[in-house]
Amino acid sequence: MLNHTIKYEWLNLLRDRWVMILLILFLGITVFAVRNGKEKVEDRMATITKEKEKMGKLDRKMAADIDSLNKNLKPAPEAWKDPRALDNIGWNAPRVVAMDAQPLAVISTGQSDLFTHYAKPKIYGEAYTLGFSELSNPVQLLFGSFDLAFVCIYLLPLLVLGFSYNVLSSEKESGVLRLTLAQPISLYQWLLGKLLLRFFILTIIVVVSILISLTIFDIDWLGNRGAATKLILLVTVYIFFWFLISFLINLLGNLSGSNAVTLIAVWVVFVLLIPSIISQTANSFYPVPSRTIMIHEYREAKALAEKKADEILKTYYREHPEYAPKDTTQQNQYSWWLGNFAASDVINQSVQPVLDDYNEALNKQQSWVNRLRFLSPAILLQDGLNDLAGTSPAHYTDFRNQVIAFADTWRHYFIPRMFNNEKMQAEDFGELPTHSYSSAQVPSHYPADLMGLLFFLTLTVAGSMWVYRRNSFENVLSV
Amino acid sequence: MIFKIARKELTEIVREGRFRITAITLFALLLAALFVSKSYYTSVNAQHSEAKKNVRSEWMEQGQKNPHSAAHYGTYAFKPKYPLSLIDNGVDKYTGVSIYLEAHKRNEAQYAAAQDQTALSRFGDLTPDFVLIFIVPLFIILIGFNAFTRERESGTLRLLKSQGVSTWKLTMGKWLGLFLPVLFIAIPVYVLAALFLANIKDYGQFSLWALTLLFGVYLIYYAVFINITLFVSSLFKKSNVAFVTLLGIWMVSCLAMPKISTAIADKLYPYPTQVEFEEQIAVDKKKGLDGHNPWNTEAKKLEEETLKKYGVDSVQQLPFNWDGFLMQEGEKHTADIYFKHYQLLKDTYVNQTNVYRSTAALSPFLPTRFLSMAICRTDYTSHWDFANAAENYRIELVGKMNGDMAANSKYGDWDYLADDKLWSSVPDFQYEPASYTTVIRQNTSNLITLLAWLLLSFAALYGAVTKMKTI
Repeated sequence: MLNHTIKYEWLNLLRDRWVMILLILFLGITVFAVRNGKEKVEDRMATITKEKEKMGKLDRKMAADIDSLNKNLKPAPEAWKDPRALDNIGWNAPRVVAMDAQPLAVISTGQSDLFTHYAKPKIYGEAYTLGFSELSNPVQLLFGSFDLAFVCIYLLPLLVLGFSYNVLSSEKESGVLRLTLAQPISLYQWLLGKLLLRFFILTIIVVVSILISLTIFDIDWLGNRGAATKLILLVTVYIFFWFLISFLINLLGNLSGSNAVTLIAVWVVFVLLIPSIISQTANSFYPVPSRTIMIHEYREAKALAEKKADEILKTYYREHPEYAPKDTTQQNQYSWWLGNFAASDVINQSVQPVLDDYNEALNKQQSWVNRLRFLSPAILLQDGLNDLAGTSPAHYTDFRNQVIAFADTWRHYFIPRMFNNEKMQAEDFGELPTHSYSSAQVPSHYPADLMGLLFFLTLTVAGSMWVYRRNSFENVLSV
Repeated sequence: MIFKIARKELTEIVREGRFRITAITLFALLLAALFVSKSYYTSVNAQHSEAKKNVRSEWMEQGQKNPHSAAHYGTYAFKPKYPLSLIDNGVDKYTGVSIYLEAHKRNEAQYAAAQDQTALSRFGDLTPDFVLIFIVPLFIILIGFNAFTRERESGTLRLLKSQGVSTWKLTMGKWLGLFLPVLFIAIPVYVLAALFLANIKDYGQFSLWALTLLFGVYLIYYAVFINITLFVSSLFKKSNVAFVTLLGIWMVSCLAMPKISTAIADKLYPYPTQVEFEEQIAVDKKKGLDGHNPWNTEAKKLEEETLKKYGVDSVQQLPFNWDGFLMQEGEKHTADIYFKHYQLLKDTYVNQTNVYRSTAALSPFLPTRFLSMAICRTDYTSHWDFANAAENYRIELVGKMNGDMAANSKYGDWDYLADDKLWSSVPDFQYEPASYTTVIRQNTSNLITLLAWLLLSFAALYGAVTKMKTI
């Protein structure tokens, strides 16, 4: 009997123009969202490629110059321009340390609009001053991007609700419900069956739309089946959660209008209110440690260290490298640089505790706030999508650490050579340290996010069973 | 007649559980938002004044130094937080709070709060403006979507007509019936906000006039939503359809349009990346005078010219310290380069702003959003204004340092030291925000768009109800 009703429901839906409208609407929205994401990712990768090409060109030019200088084909330039001097290479030919986009980066902008995706650490300068913020119009950051994550988090639940809010009530309003329930059939199973059918149809529409959009914009989801499956799984669970919410509200047996209002209220609470309340209270209860105070501590520590470093070097030498002795006949042509490194080491060591303390406090704050995501399925989905896209805060923190580590590698490539008073040779360019980005170190939030969503599913199922038990048939049938 | 209908509408709305629950929730949300924002505001302000004190004492107590070293040591400008940011925090979360002021370099504001927060903050915060701009329109839709459809569904619309009530009077009654509940919620919030703001110590720039203007803007925004709600309700036969349509309108204007406009603005007028921007500046700097580089061709040219002007044949014979002079000339040159590039950046930003201004014709949310931020001094223009003031202060500070070095030391004498007499001659950084007249002038187009929305939505409502069928 149940099979029968489901079969007719299926035929009914097929003839309904709703399904077609939904498919076209959703496909259109998804294509637009993926296009926006693709544009951002393409810009990001294009600048990285451009930078790397520029770097390669400069390398080749410098190698050629060194070659002709060594063969005395060119007059020797001033010391501060000489490509054979290691300090000039370390300063003028920095490597591009880039954060390549993950295969599914298009799905979620995440934090990618706040931070830069490449840095060029030089032989001189502190990691602290390496800027990571991206230049952008803050209005754009405030409004956010129209990406697939936005579509899934905000719009998808509304589609689910629009597709299911009156499944029970419309039958009741037209009087068919009494007839149906006169059959040997359980209300719970019948409603669940009807909603499951809709869930399958909508999920297929969503999955097909996402895959079509990804294909249109040339995202190799087949090659990244693992990530694509994770994406689809996450979105499917989220859709299912909203169907179950709708199921629960339908079971209360109210009229269509009242169902719609209640469901919208639930949506507002889960998608708009809970995240913003959590976000605001998290800032009050676990405030981000103050940067302004950190700046002060940093400057105090630095000033103190500089006084100590003055014993090693006169201040203006550090600030004015161009006044370094230009005389290369003396024993080591890099002695000024080596002295400078020594001085900046003293300074860096004394300010490091201030930075470490700050970062520790910040990490603690963020891990507290991260736990609060389990309070709303919308936050869980956002977190999971950022994780898959490689645009989560953790990814950017990891990248910053990679840059700082590479800055050190870069300097330590030159220091021993400078002590040996070596010169740069054309063939050395191939041996310069390089950086290749990997996000393997970033701990994945995905499993926890999925579990969190499944927990919400279980809660809703339990809730619907409780409502079903409490609500008598008569209640549901009465108008 | 209008008031009778309004009273009937009000009684009906108030009697309904839906209204009571949502109104209480809304009011509670607004109160919570006000309280949380107030505590946030107070703590940020405390940090701000402490930081200001700190940098001043750092500057004053830096000890004996070469003036140019002092210019390198530099200082910080901290962006003040204005009382009304308690209502609308605008883009403040995404702009830095401090600018490092040093010789040779214009720095961007650093440490935007959003960068130190988790991705959760991207959902938005529960600040009063969030409730005022997103949730209140939903509330209007919720209580008004069936204003006409209900009458039509139950057949009372026909009855009313037979009584000889003009549709326009009926509509105005219903309009008031929606506007008054909104006012009942808005007025206590307004009074509370005024009390809060007046009681904040050191409330600086707060003016009751600005708060009133802000609420005026929001009331116009609500009037637009009431017009749209009644317009849609008068068009459809079924409440359900009216509700879904209104929800779609809300979603498009409040959620989708801002994002779509952003996509368009970004596509048409993209910002350079930070590294690109810095490199363009570096290229220009290299071409010109480098104050720190006596071997630079431009520097050589200046040297020749100066020597000729003073009729001497070496820089040692100049009546001032050539190093200090050269550095100040270089400083002027780099300041010009920064000015040029920031001007280019500003052009991009102005172009993007114009995109938002034109898409505002498609969403009443956009002009309201921009006006609200502008009145609260938390919009991007305010940030630019502050950054420019900080840059002017930087130029002045570095100029003073180089000038002192040129006047009081000899060429090559890098051991010359200045002391707190010079440091104290540099006044503390003071920033006065643009006057409200300027703010209003900058936002005339937003104001006009919002008023156009009000008039056009009234006209549409009028057109719809006069043609309205009773069945």
